Amino acid sequence: MASTSEHTNGQTAEQEKQQRTFDSGLLRRIVAYLLPYKTYVAGAFVLVILAAVLGPVQPWLIQIAIDDYIVASDYDGLLLIIGLLAGALVLEGTLRFVNSYLTQWIGQHAIYDLRTTVFRHIQNQPLGFFDKTPIGRLITRATSDVESISDVLSQGVVTILGDCFKLLFIAAFMFYLDWRLAIVTLTVMPLMVWVTFWFRRKVSVQYRETRKQVARLNSFMQEHVTGMPIVQLFNREEEEMRRFRDINNSHRRAHINTIFYFALFWPAVSIVSDVALGLVLWVGGIAAMADTVTLGVLVAFIQYARRFFEPIRNLSDQYNTLLSGMAGAERVFGLLDTDAALQEPDAPAPMNGLKGHIEFRNVWFTYDALPEDGSAPNWILQDVSFEITPGDTVAIVGATGAGKTTLINLLLRFYDVQRGEILVDGVNVQAYRLKDLRNHVGLVLQDVFLFSGSVERNLTLGDEAIEAADVRRAVEAIGAKGFIERLPNGYQQDVRERGASLSHGQRQLLAFARAMLYDPKLLVLDEATSSVDTETELIMQQALDTVMEGRTCLVIAHRLSTVREADQILVMHRGELREQGTHEELLHQEGLYRKLYEYQYKEQERRALTS
Amino acid sequence: MKALARLNHFYWEYKHLFIPGLLCTMASAAFLVAVPIVVREIIDSIPRFVELYNVFEGSEAQGTMFNLFAGGLLLFAGIIVALSLASGFFSFLMRQTIVVASRHIEFDLRNQLYDHLQRLSPKFYRDYTTGDVITRSTDDIEKVRRYVGPAIMYITRAIVVVATAITVMFIISPTLTLYALLPMPFLAVSIFFVARIVHKRSEALQKQYSNVTTRVQEALTGIRVIKSYTREDAENAAFEEESAQYRARQLDLAWVDSAWRPILLLLVGASQVIVVWMGGRLVIDGAITIGNIAEYLIYVQMMTWPVASLGFVITMVQRASASMERLNELFDTEPEISDGPQTDYSITTLEGHMAFEHVSYYFEEGEEWALKDVSFEIPAGGTLAIVGRTGAGKSTLIDLIPRLIDPTEGTVRIDGHDVRTIPLDTLRSTMGYVPQDVFLFSDTVANNIAFGVTDPGEQRIRRAAQEADLLENIEAFPEGFDTFVGERGITLSGGQKQRSSIARALIRRPSILLLDDALSAVDTETETTILNHLRAQEGHHTLVMVSHRISAVQEADLILVLEHGRVTQQGTHNELLEQGGLYRDLHEKQRLQEQIEAL
Repeated sequence: MASTSEHTNGQTAEQEKQQRTFDSGLLRRIVAYLLPYKTYVAGAFVLVILAAVLGPVQPWLIQIAIDDYIVASDYDGLLLIIGLLAGALVLEGTLRFVNSYLTQWIGQHAIYDLRTTVFRHIQNQPLGFFDKTPIGRLITRATSDVESISDVLSQGVVTILGDCFKLLFIAAFMFYLDWRLAIVTLTVMPLMVWVTFWFRRKVSVQYRETRKQVARLNSFMQEHVTGMPIVQLFNREEEEMRRFRDINNSHRRAHINTIFYFALFWPAVSIVSDVALGLVLWVGGIAAMADTVTLGVLVAFIQYARRFFEPIRNLSDQYNTLLSGMAGAERVFGLLDTDAALQEPDAPAPMNGLKGHIEFRNVWFTYDALPEDGSAPNWILQDVSFEITPGDTVAIVGATGAGKTTLINLLLRFYDVQRGEILVDGVNVQAYRLKDLRNHVGLVLQDVFLFSGSVERNLTLGDEAIEAADVRRAVEAIGAKGFIERLPNGYQQDVRERGASLSHGQRQLLAFARAMLYDPKLLVLDEATSSVDTETELIMQQALDTVMEGRTCLVIAHRLSTVREADQILVMHRGELREQGTHEELLHQEGLYRKLYEYQYKEQERRALTS
Repeated sequence: MKALARLNHFYWEYKHLFIPGLLCTMASAAFLVAVPIVVREIIDSIPRFVELYNVFEGSEAQGTMFNLFAGGLLLFAGIIVALSLASGFFSFLMRQTIVVASRHIEFDLRNQLYDHLQRLSPKFYRDYTTGDVITRSTDDIEKVRRYVGPAIMYITRAIVVVATAITVMFIISPTLTLYALLPMPFLAVSIFFVARIVHKRSEALQKQYSNVTTRVQEALTGIRVIKSYTREDAENAAFEEESAQYRARQLDLAWVDSAWRPILLLLVGASQVIVVWMGGRLVIDGAITIGNIAEYLIYVQMMTWPVASLGFVITMVQRASASMERLNELFDTEPEISDGPQTDYSITTLEGHMAFEHVSYYFEEGEEWALKDVSFEIPAGGTLAIVGRTGAGKSTLIDLIPRLIDPTEGTVRIDGHDVRTIPLDTLRSTMGYVPQDVFLFSDTVANNIAFGVTDPGEQRIRRAAQEADLLENIEAFPEGFDTFVGERGITLSGGQKQRSSIARALIRRPSILLLDDALSAVDTETETTILNHLRAQEGHHTLVMVSHRISAVQEADLILVLEHGRVTQQGTHNELLEQGGLYRDLHEKQRLQEQIEAL
């Protein structure tokens, strides 16, 4: 819903602003996406011009049929013209079809390029970018904003040109047939243009009002359907019904106002074209009596008078498409123009197999930007230093908000530190290529994120180099084989369908298996806090042992067994490393760890004893 | 189609719009059809005139004659414009009545629906997602509206235009009419099929669009996993695949969508070619005039839209019928909880004595009991506290009191009455309820607090805010009590929201106050302040509270410990501490937590 709410508030304002300024630079940027398809675009232009001639040619042929053959009673000659007429008609229909498909083909290809560029750009941004930008907004950029440009690309330019040519050709044929009647017919054109654009202007104002009312209605519904228990418990039904009726009423009003303009517009159009018809018949009739105009010409002009309207209306439609496309383009290009991607080193340090030595050296960190006035920022980590030797298991403990997760975020270089440095195998993490660094680190988070799609996809994450046999092996080693095979579709089971019924423990097992498959030298793990039943507990324990074996492990520990067996425990408190040592050593210190132990782990110990 | 029958009474209700509307439709069509006749008259009069003119060759009268005929032509042209104006005038009235009526019906239907939604119980809102309900109340109603108004208007117009035009044409030449109309049935049929394919492919396109959206959404919510496993390239590839699929669906649609205009063009054009061809032959044979050809050409063009619209209308009616079925499904859902024959309307006030007698509850048959055999009693003015782990059934217990749900077994009594016999309005208006998930409306702070009372006046609102320890916060807001909360206004912190929610309950001066973990987002100090306010009014209301903090519950008259839906311990704070068990564990943990926080 984030996208809709944004739409109702922010975007209408943005659109209004857009409608005042028509930015040609922006249009050029959009059109640049057509460059790869310029041959097709050129083809479309040719087709559109051809089709534009073939339309007006038909009344002319009818004129010839009447004057040269029907009046002269030449039936064979008539047949010839009929053949030409039919040919022109079929050709026009075919060209219009091909052209319409072609322009959409071009547009869709260009829009595909733009959409994937936007997605790639978003993916390249560091985590800090996602902390600051609501996901709903990013989704809107990559979907509906891009979509609004689509019409400009597929129809905009080509169609506008086609309609202009159509008007031009109609005028040309009219002048060719009889210049006096042409001028008479064209006198109503300004009126037609004025009516059309007047209507367009009125209706677009009205549409804006309608959209506003629709948004109001929707957000009322959204809010009240969600909050219905509150409405009912606070006996507010009558009052809310009254408010709903008001909103519904404004909604109705807005629509009825719109109907008024439509009701006026359609008759106005046919009245204007009938005025043209009357003029043609009057002036043309007099000329015909004086024998300066033939009956065929008169009939042809009756047709031309009615053909003017379509291109004019299309042009006014296109104008609106362009405007809304521009508004979308401004937002999309705005996103593309801000790039906060982390700096990759110019000469990356080589990484051939990670040993797993880690050192934090006087690390200071905050998620916020450093204050410009030099005042102390809200440090999340303060002067943290520690070292992990390869193959060790290190447990991080501490209360909520102590900075445990931040340590992990920095090690994987999701963020860059503000002070101090983090070394992996003696080299600053910023000197490695991001890809090299992260390829050697396995991360298992407490809140396991599953993608929609099969179990298998969730294990391989779409890496086709991973073979099915490897998947089976990893799953078996972790002990997840049993539950996966019990799923109705096994490895192909869509986790979305079963998403809710996959237990927390099962999700964890999947995440372990995922980590096993990628076989990292360094494993970073955020243990689950929630309690599980004894059987799952046992499976989890084995899974953990398997996955941790032979790797350097950094674990945010929630389990008693993990802290007990860790080679080293880091006790974090309010962003500082307060205590450090093994379980036994720290217990004897009678300090922070002791308290934490009693708070978090002792219950587990008691449960383990009783079961 | 049967579903649509439910709408018939609306036609009667709005007959003052529909009857004139339909008359206008007919009038408009009739005037429209008259125009080509005038055109024919003009064209055919020209040769006749020339003939007559030549008779007066050389005489004085010839000039007068010319002027006379020129005047006649002007008159005819004037008649065309007049007919067009008349047709336009009635067409204007047609839309202003029929389409407007459809908007009135939409309005009524939506009011009915919302009114019905307000009566439905929480179970309904568990079964239907918010999005689903909203779609039905917007999209589906809109589709039904198109049937009620535009569809009927198009049909009437089509029938009148086609019928009169064909009659006029038939009188002139039955053969030419038959030939000229040959393509028309194809037009209607092909429009119907194209519309159907377009609809189907649009749906496929819409589905793929939501796949693309889902893909983006997932990639962005799972960005941490993707980055840590350096799967960016794979995700890009997957997204490209979805986008390519989307493009393919777009082009599928473009294929039929592009056929649209050419089909219309070809079939109308075919009719016109036939008119010139066969008509030309008839003119050569002397059966009809050139004026007739011009007339026919206009008729054929005039009939295009009405005939094509028949194709659209069928699709419109089909969709409306499907939408109406979805709406009827909602209208036919009976509220699970409502007043009924058992309701005793003599109950108008409640003191607040409360008793649960062997109450059990499950959400769906076959699922585990959410509550099992819960019994307790609390005197009016007393305080009941409920503690337990997440999912133990605490909220379920609270929800039984204002009848958000009814027990599967057993009885909930207030002042000795089974709650099911108390009028809902009475039951709920004696309660103040503070839910676990705070829900505030996007409205001003004042209106949110005053939500459950009519015209409370500024003093009462201030007082409630003060009791909820919110007054200072509100006064610091840019516009005080008039500050907007939610999307369009300021974002309140979790604690501020909770306290607003508490103020909203307190302002009602309820006999029974229900706090479902209502202080979880405020710090201990604020909690104490609020609890002190509540205690100051002890005896004025029965207080039922769920809390995770022992500090909040320890002074309660009765504490229930819930585990897996069952009451495993009950008593006062001291009694429970002595008993050991979960209560003492919780107490112990909390003490440690406080110590750690203090470090």
